[in-house]
Amino acid sequence: MSDVKQEERKRFFNDDLDTSETSLNFKSENKESFLFSNSHNDDDILSVSDNSEGEKDTSILPVNEEIREDDQDQFIGELLRIIPEMPTSISIKLNEKFGSKKEGLCLALSHYFDHYKENSTSNIPSSPNQVNSHSDTSSSVLSPSPSHVKKRNNYAFRNQNRLEDKTTWKRFIGALQVTGMATRPTVRPLKYGSQLKLKRSVEEISAAKVYDSRGRKKASMASLVRIFDSQYNREIGRVPEDIAQILYPLLNSNEIGFEVTLIFCDNKRLSIGDSFILQLDCFLTSIIFEESSSDGQSFTKRRRTEREIKREKDNKNFGRSLAETDEELENRSKRLALLKLFDKLKLKPILDEQKAIERHKIELSSDPEIIDIDDDNDDDDDNDDIRPGQAAKARDNLWDTQHEEETMNLNQLKTFYKAAQSSESLKNLPETEPSRDIFKLELRNYQKQGLTWMLRREQEFAKTASDKGASETDANVINPLWKQFKWPTDMSWAAQKTQNDHLNLEDDIFFYANLHSGEFSLTKPVLKTMIKGGILSDEMGLGKTIAAYSLILSCPCDSDIDRTPYDVESTDIPDDVSSTFKTSSQNNKKPYASKTTLIVVPMSLLTQWSNEFMKANNSPDMYHEVYYGGNVSSLKTLLTKTKNPPTVVLTTYGIVQNEWTKHFKGRMIDEDVTVSSGLFSVNFYRIVIDEGHNIRNRMTVTSKAVMDLQAKCKWVLTGTPIINRLDDLYSLVKFLELDPWRQINYWKTFVSTPFENKNYKQAFDVVNAILEPVLLRRTKQMKDKDGKPLVELPPKEVVIKRLPFSKAQDLLYKFLLDKAEITVKSGIARGDLLKKYSTILVHILRLRQVCCHPGLIGTQDENDEDLSKNNKLVTEQTVELDSLIRVASERYDNSFSKEELEKMMRNLKVKYPDNKSFQTLECSICTAEPIDIDKVLFTECGHSFCEKCLFEYIEFQKGKNLCLKCPNCRKPIDACRLLTLGPQNSTSENLEFRPYSPASESSKITALVKELQLLQDSSAGEQVVIFSQFSTYLDILEKELTHAFPKDVAKVYKFDGRLSLKERTNVLADFAAKDYSRQKILLLSLKAGGVGLNLTCASHAYMMDPWWSPSMEDQAIDRLHRIGQTNSVKVTRFIIQNSIEEKMLRIQEKKRTIGEAMDADEDERRKRRIEEIQMLFE
Amino acid sequence: MASLPKRIIKETEKLVSDPVPGITAEPHDDNLRYFQVTIEGPEQSPYEDGIFELELYLPDDYPMEAPKVRFLTKIYHPNIDRLGRICLDVLKTNWSPALQIRTVLLSIQALLASPNPNDPLANDVAEDWIKNEVGAKAKAREWTKLYAKKKPE
Repeated sequence: MSDVKQEERKRFFNDDLDTSETSLNFKSENKESFLFSNSHNDDDILSVSDNSEGEKDTSILPVNEEIREDDQDQFIGELLRIIPEMPTSISIKLNEKFGSKKEGLCLALSHYFDHYKENSTSNIPSSPNQVNSHSDTSSSVLSPSPSHVKKRNNYAFRNQNRLEDKTTWKRFIGALQVTGMATRPTVRPLKYGSQLKLKRSVEEISAAKVYDSRGRKKASMASLVRIFDSQYNREIGRVPEDIAQILYPLLNSNEIGFEVTLIFCDNKRLSIGDSFILQLDCFLTSIIFEESSSDGQSFTKRRRTEREIKREKDNKNFGRSLAETDEELENRSKRLALLKLFDKLKLKPILDEQKAIERHKIELSSDPEIIDIDDDNDDDDDNDDIRPGQAAKARDNLWDTQHEEETMNLNQLKTFYKAAQSSESLKNLPETEPSRDIFKLELRNYQKQGLTWMLRREQEFAKTASDKGASETDANVINPLWKQFKWPTDMSWAAQKTQNDHLNLEDDIFFYANLHSGEFSLTKPVLKTMIKGGILSDEMGLGKTIAAYSLILSCPCDSDIDRTPYDVESTDIPDDVSSTFKTSSQNNKKPYASKTTLIVVPMSLLTQWSNEFMKANNSPDMYHEVYYGGNVSSLKTLLTKTKNPPTVVLTTYGIVQNEWTKHFKGRMIDEDVTVSSGLFSVNFYRIVIDEGHNIRNRMTVTSKAVMDLQAKCKWVLTGTPIINRLDDLYSLVKFLELDPWRQINYWKTFVSTPFENKNYKQAFDVVNAILEPVLLRRTKQMKDKDGKPLVELPPKEVVIKRLPFSKAQDLLYKFLLDKAEITVKSGIARGDLLKKYSTILVHILRLRQVCCHPGLIGTQDENDEDLSKNNKLVTEQTVELDSLIRVASERYDNSFSKEELEKMMRNLKVKYPDNKSFQTLECSICTAEPIDIDKVLFTECGHSFCEKCLFEYIEFQKGKNLCLKCPNCRKPIDACRLLTLGPQNSTSENLEFRPYSPASESSKITALVKELQLLQDSSAGEQVVIFSQFSTYLDILEKELTHAFPKDVAKVYKFDGRLSLKERTNVLADFAAKDYSRQKILLLSLKAGGVGLNLTCASHAYMMDPWWSPSMEDQAIDRLHRIGQTNSVKVTRFIIQNSIEEKMLRIQEKKRTIGEAMDADEDERRKRRIEEIQMLFE
Repeated sequence: MASLPKRIIKETEKLVSDPVPGITAEPHDDNLRYFQVTIEGPEQSPYEDGIFELELYLPDDYPMEAPKVRFLTKIYHPNIDRLGRICLDVLKTNWSPALQIRTVLLSIQALLASPNPNDPLANDVAEDWIKNEVGAKAKAREWTKLYAKKKPE
């Protein structure tokens, strides 16, 4: 023990003294003088001096063992002095047990607290000040640093006068040991314990001079903060730069109090440059709490206007680009200083309140410590001129245990919203069953639970008071911006003895600080979730539509309307500039459609929602209206003036966007816009947006429009709240008007920025805290309370069929691949791959297109997200592309010379003089007649065959290495020397011969046709869905499939973004109708049909081409594999061997494992993409 | 089993509805690709009084591949061996998917009318045929009487 002490003493005094011996000497020398110096302030001289005497004994003890006397009475006396309430019997017992031990007093005290605490809980002082006086002794015993001992050897006093008038109280938050440097010589030695003051050397200096525009300090602050002798009011010295940086911004306000005491000065008098040691006690004053409790100025000051935010969006340097006023600068520097101060003081937020309270109890008996500045712990980058810190290392095991795993599993995001809804609490949700009179359908158990949750969210239960748990949901959630801190035990110089009587803080163990804004509070800042509504984020196929209807029909109109006639917006949180253009007053002008819920859905789902309403609604009084914009003459009148307005108004995102554009576009943001008709003219009771991720990009017109819809309750339905990045959630938060998150700067500060800085933990914590109360998510894997899965679906089988290229595809692919590789490789070599990003994307697109069908090349597809911006590029290069395709198919062209071709054509013309002759063409291979003129091929010898038959023959002959002869006349033929009939021209009746290029063959289509044929043979009347992301491919498929199968064998439907609503409805209805006589094939665009549709009538799906993200394909498959599917689902994915598609599969695999949502920001995403590109071309 | 291609069905139907004179071909009940065939010996040939039985099988690749045809009835013919295998170009190298069952069987009938001992399958028969055509034809006639069914009068 003594060794350790010696050691640490050496470390501590190294800078100031030669040996530890001198320090000891010094201490004993000066003992007399400082012991009684300031005692005039103390009421209880005797006890204090006694106490210090005792402490001195114990502390010196390890060094001079013989001083220690086993004086029974003294021991008991000490015990009693520390805990006056302690029964004598106990003190005697303790004495017997510990009196003779080395650190008896300490052990006795801890023993007392451990074993007798229960008896005396009422006696345990809860004020840290009191506590401190108790634990004082023990701490000094335990404390390894003599400097600590020294400090405690003195009694404290509290200089109340120093506080400003407004300050009613202050409370200790920590102490620092600071080495000061004398700037003026002193004549007399500074007295130990003398009170000093900190002052700014120049009183009023413009903040702009101190900080640059980015808030970094310009000047050295050490020169700006001076230590003054409070008695003589003369300057003594300065503090190190790092401390000065903290102190300077804080000195002028009364929010933080500082008390400075000289605790060590080795020379009799100071000359310039000499160092001395100070104890800097830091306090939070009542002012800082007042300011925040009034929730006022500081908050509003920081609030930005919409336009500022807009400007910020353009500016990457968020917030900093704005020239900050002096005041703002100062505020910010203050905030930073506070952060640093908290850091130095090792004040850390409490993560687990329960544990903290327990710990607090334990601590009452344990060792409070003064924390020294610890230079090897100092990680801020501007500690340029810190003086070597005094090294006694603060022993903070306590904090060690609190050090959380900072590293974050990348999969965390994937699981985070699952975690957000702990399944336990879900299981315990009571079930609510909607009345049969209004709701026709039977809900599943989890749907009933969901209804309970949703009703709670709308606080319907609170109204009917039928459920007391209603308000609990968000009562105790601490605003995640705020951190909870425990008041440290007061160990300030002054407070050691005095009791802070003027403030009753007995129950305050904690205080709360928003270190980001500099706000403080004594009461728990509860997260405000005023908005009624939330995010229903059940996985696809769990019946979100039904859930929404169960809510709407259970609670079709605002029951508050009678009681509080129309003050919806006034119950809202203080209106926020960022969310809506209109001011509250304007909102109030809008009539309130208290009986109507607006449902916004993607167009493809409109009919489905409409049908579901009919199915669900059982009340004759309730009906729904589909709003197309024009069909309801006055929506406002209908909803607010008529007796029985529709319960549900269904509309689409497109219509919302149209109306919004009509009303708001081109107007100034703050211009008053009074909308007299349409969706924006009323305030709905409730809005439900389906597939809410549609608004994930807040910059799109649709998002802006949807955000401007007004309602009392807002609901988002989405199976995938996060598609690409965490910020996708922001739009939902903004739509739901969750404060303060809907302010973009808050979101940026607390979610985006930490996330970008890889501070995942913080970002997720915040997101979790935001979402926890408002998000309900169930997955198909979840088990209900009986342990059964929520939904039992028939099995799903996904098969990957690997196919070789057709000859033409192979040729073209190699050609394109060469070109692409050259670009990529040169890009990598020169390091400017990023610049060529879009070019490369075009290359990749082409490769993918060739894999599908060579005919896709050169077509642009609106479905390809990557290229939506580069459309120009695609079209610009079509000229080049044309030649490219020609190059690829040149070999075919070359096989005919021009003369040969003309001769052949002439011969054929003779044989087939007119169109009539084409109607009786016969294929000798399949014996079909007539041959479909779209599919006819002519050999050089003028014989006609089906395209399919002839190529089957050619392939067969090639496979057997047999020579190719015309089946009819045995003249040699060549696959490259065939003719076909030109495109059917509607204007001219004459069909033209043209050279046939087999490049329109696709091995995928061939394989698909075979699969479909097999299916036709094995089971009649199956419905089949074929997905592709290329709508052009769907066109080709449509053509080839209708050719492959006669109408009585298979019917082909096509569903893509080009269909009108009515057509969509018809197609889906027709497709769903079972017809055992023929197969039904639905060609579905991945994008248009990937979401929302219900295709459970089909149990076979074919994915023609892979998509970058597996989730998109999963979504598509889930159209079939969802509730209502009775058969096992078989999915076949066509992949071309050794092509870019196989590599895409690998990327999909990678995405599945790391979680693609981690692609946080655009840059990161791009980087990821570059990696992917490299992967594609390696 | 994959379904029967349209063409086979069509051919079968036509064989029944519009039979070739002197030739019958009936698909087996269990296997529609297997045909029982009879061919009348052509007049003025040593086989003229007999009806020869053959079997015909359409392989999976038909019509890309030629049908397999074999005599079941013993026959003395230079291009047909003891096992009934037939040496005929259209059944081998000269097959074309444009040919059909009907045309194949007609070719076989023609082969009976004009044997081609220069491209023999049964070498001993061919030798006999070249050395002593009259004797060979007599033997063929004898075998026809012995093994082939008699044509109804």
